[in-house]
Amino acid sequence: MSKYLLKRFLLMFPTLLGVAVVIFVLIRVIPGDVVELRMSGDRGSASQQAIDEERVRFGLDQPVWKQFATWVWGVVRLDFGTSMWTGAPIGEEIKLRFALSMQVAIMATIVAVLLAIPLGVVAALKQDTWVDYAVRIFSIAGLATPSFWLGIVFILLLLIVFKWLPPMVYTPFWVNPWQNLLQLVWPALAVGYRYSAVATRMTRSAMLEVLREDYIRTARAKGLVQKLVLSRHALKNAMLPVMTVIGLEFAFLLGGLVVTEQVFNLNGLGLLFVQAVAHRDYTLIQALVMIVSGFFILVNFVMDVMYAWLDPRIRYR
Amino acid sequence: MGVLLEVRSLTTEFATSGGVVRAVDGVSWDVQEGETVALVGESGCGKSVSALSVMRLVAAPAGRIVGGQVVFKGRDLLQLSEEDMRRVRGREIAMIFQEPMTSLNPVLTIGRQLTEGLEIHLGMSGAGARARAAELLGMVGIPDPERRLTQYPHQFSGGMRQRMMIAMALACEPSLILADEPTTALDVTIQAQILELLKDLSRRLGVAMLIITHNLGVVARYADRVNVMYAGRIVERGSARELYANPRHPYTLGLLKSVPRLDEPRRARLQPIEGQPPDLTRLPPGCAFAPRCAFRVARCAAERPALAPVGGAGHLTACWEAGRLDRAPALR
Ligand SMILES: Nc1ncnc2c1ncn2[C@@H]1O[C@H](COP(=O)(O)OP(=O)(O)OP(=O)(O)O)[C@@H](O)[C@H]1O
Ligand SMILES: [Mg+2]
Repeated sequence: MSKYLLKRFLLMFPTLLGVAVVIFVLIRVIPGDVVELRMSGDRGSASQQAIDEERVRFGLDQPVWKQFATWVWGVVRLDFGTSMWTGAPIGEEIKLRFALSMQVAIMATIVAVLLAIPLGVVAALKQDTWVDYAVRIFSIAGLATPSFWLGIVFILLLLIVFKWLPPMVYTPFWVNPWQNLLQLVWPALAVGYRYSAVATRMTRSAMLEVLREDYIRTARAKGLVQKLVLSRHALKNAMLPVMTVIGLEFAFLLGGLVVTEQVFNLNGLGLLFVQAVAHRDYTLIQALVMIVSGFFILVNFVMDVMYAWLDPRIRYR
Repeated sequence: MGVLLEVRSLTTEFATSGGVVRAVDGVSWDVQEGETVALVGESGCGKSVSALSVMRLVAAPAGRIVGGQVVFKGRDLLQLSEEDMRRVRGREIAMIFQEPMTSLNPVLTIGRQLTEGLEIHLGMSGAGARARAAELLGMVGIPDPERRLTQYPHQFSGGMRQRMMIAMALACEPSLILADEPTTALDVTIQAQILELLKDLSRRLGVAMLIITHNLGVVARYADRVNVMYAGRIVERGSARELYANPRHPYTLGLLKSVPRLDEPRRARLQPIEGQPPDLTRLPPGCAFAPRCAFRVARCAAERPALAPVGGAGHLTACWEAGRLDRAPALR
């Protein structure tokens, strides 16, 4: 058991290092750096000397490998440095936004799982009946509807029907949970619906496949009640592929909700990402990429753990 | 000894894209208490579907039992509510499946899969159920049963999985076991072990058994009576001894000639039955075996022969030319 997971665990570190190298090199290949962008903002072009001085201040005159080493050493100590654009410490910049994005991602995942698993299972059990068709239409609609559009519809409906708008200023959960949920439940629903569509379809097809398996027939032949056949014998097997979809989608949500964040006036990581790229804010981009991809890799590892937990054939490898 | 199970005019169909497949076509057979009956025939002749129909486990919605009765201990199983039928499955009639590799759930322990039947039918639980499960594993010849209970199917060999299936079938001491080719997926030495085990246990526990196989060699050794099935119908029935000594249907004869026999000289050549089984969606009006039959006469293509008594007690065959087969032992 532990050998497989240990391998998976150790594999996370070279993967992260790979990400670090790629992002570090890539942003330096893109023409235009933060110093040029900032200086050109000061009416006309700044003198070459001023630009060079700024570069020295940020350490951009150093050889790339040295810059890299300095940065990585910082990251290892969880010190991402300061933003090249605002000069503020990156840890501070990101903290609240990370909390917000993470909360939306978690809530959307809960919405998706609560919708997808029952709907997918019911659709599979009632294959080719009106129930199945209804679920399929619901999930195809989910796939075809952009989350931000659904978000706009939510806001308009709340405004027109209930003459009420969700709060537009972020309140952390630990400050005022009710206020916080009032704001975030809408983006979570908008994103969760679309996300559930993918997972519903996966649940349905995995369930259909599992229900055809010989061991399901064996379970029925033993005289088990339908509920046990489903919950004990079918669901656990069907959850393996569904979990993969849910995990990947969850990891994506953390940094991937640019437009939806804008619709709901949320200062999440997605928006920050876009701004950081626009400003060529090297340190901020690097920090965001490391955090988002680090999270992605971590979710992958957690999925490996869950796979091993669900499937003994993996556990004993 | 009385009748335990009596299948009357059972008909099961599958709706497929190529048309309706009548996999079991008005078939009747029975099993007496404590008896071992064989159901023999080529691949695709409807053996598994017959057994699944008895359990009412034919894959819906494509498959459907369209007619007949399955009278078990005086009750027609086809008339029971789903809940009452569930109480029969595993408790009164157990089934052993053809594919030991895929018939066990890969994500549940052997112990879990053994105890759940005990829990649901006998109300056992916890340590009691586990002790009984270990006892069952021991009974089917799996060493170190306590430890094995905590393992998963992938840690078992094919032969051990089939033993486990037998243990599962025996768990609630049913009065009938339907063993669907319990050994085809296994290699020859293991086959013999498993069959001996089944025979031994069924005799010791007084369980009646339907053994499904396409191997007449197996039948001779383990069955009291034999039903030979072809294209969804029974074409011959009789005691195993009788069928071996004096087959009265050309198909049975063909099956016998296609397996090696210890009671004949080694040089006797094996003769496979020529041709293919018919397409079940469009069966000929007459005898389904006629196109492949060496004894065919004009009548065979037009009229279907019914099962009728021949020779010894309880020996029936569905062949117009049964008399000719009897008079010509040299043909064998
Ligand atoms: N789920 C199904 N859908 C459609 N047709 C089916 C289905 N199951 C069985 N059949 C058809 O019913 C017929 C009988 O199948 P069955 O499984 O009973 O054969 P068998 O005698 O057990 O053969 P084997 O020795 O290969 O196990 C076959 O022609 C098969 O094509
Ligand atoms: Mg079969």
